[in-house]
Amino acid sequence: MLKYLKAEGLMGSRLPTILCPGCGGGQVLNYTLQAVDRLIAKDDIRKEDFLFISGVGCSSRITSHYLNFDSAWTIHGRALAVATGALLANPAFRVIVFTGDGDLAAIGGNHFIHACRRNINVTILCMNNGLYGMTGGQLAPTTEKGVVTTTTPYGNPEKSFDLCKLSETAGAPYVARWTTAHPRQIVRSVMKGIRKKGTAFIEVLSQCPVHKKMSPVAMLKMLKENTIPIGNQSQSGEGKIPVGEFLDIEMPEWNDSYENIVKAARKEDCGLHE
Amino acid sequence: MNRLWIDERYCKGCLICVDICPEKALKASEGINAKGFILPAEADMTRCKACGLCELMCPDFAIAIGE
Repeated sequence: MLKYLKAEGLMGSRLPTILCPGCGGGQVLNYTLQAVDRLIAKDDIRKEDFLFISGVGCSSRITSHYLNFDSAWTIHGRALAVATGALLANPAFRVIVFTGDGDLAAIGGNHFIHACRRNINVTILCMNNGLYGMTGGQLAPTTEKGVVTTTTPYGNPEKSFDLCKLSETAGAPYVARWTTAHPRQIVRSVMKGIRKKGTAFIEVLSQCPVHKKMSPVAMLKMLKENTIPIGNQSQSGEGKIPVGEFLDIEMPEWNDSYENIVKAARKEDCGLHE
Repeated sequence: MNRLWIDERYCKGCLICVDICPEKALKASEGINAKGFILPAEADMTRCKACGLCELMCPDFAIAIGE
């Protein structure tokens, strides 16, 4: 597995990654590559079909710098806009967007809503660590209430964004939330998301050991303790974050609807010229 | 018996692998390496079932379990 990754997937000479020790971003990259690896082995998907697109931030740095796949490193928050263009040019692409909570929920918020509404064929992997890691641990829209960050030394007075509910309401057909302490579930979710025709949104609650000033191991334990799988009746889920697959339905995909319009317009045109 | 392979160039000593191992086959090594990181080491590899959880959860692609 590791040899395969280093020879085929990761650019071995560019490692080690720029990420801090114990960062959740590297883990999500590992899970995603595992899913991609299985899809190449099981389904009829070639390595050339994948396209990784990312914006700006810690989590967005990992795809364009270390992967030997087609990738684009785009402007801040506009990864989904670039993904839309890429899909228009070649609808056969399997687009995976790597993004962080600042990139997706703050500056790219509107692109996110409209990508979900259009139901474009992308898999969005959002690494949500609840703060702006790259710029020094400032308050993000996904910071939980009462959490101390560098810009809220007395605790965050605002409510946080629930990205899963947002994407569900905006119209994404596949929505899931996991933490970095759920490796096998994320691999399964990413495989489902890539196979899905339409927008698959997977939020991964991730750790930032540097700005939360905790060890990576303690943070992983905390993530597991603070979350509860949906449908779990045995424990009380009060004050805990629900994790699991929230939505998995079929919906008409944007490129298909577009193709239908093109076909209908061509037919009309032919009728006029006859 | 399985063996632990650590790529010293990539490992940043977060020790997630040591904590996550369900069989407790790994431990933190005694000293630090040239970069100042505490690397994982073999505790008792006869207990290793090669479940691959340490390989999967490594953020830096530094660990491998093999013959």
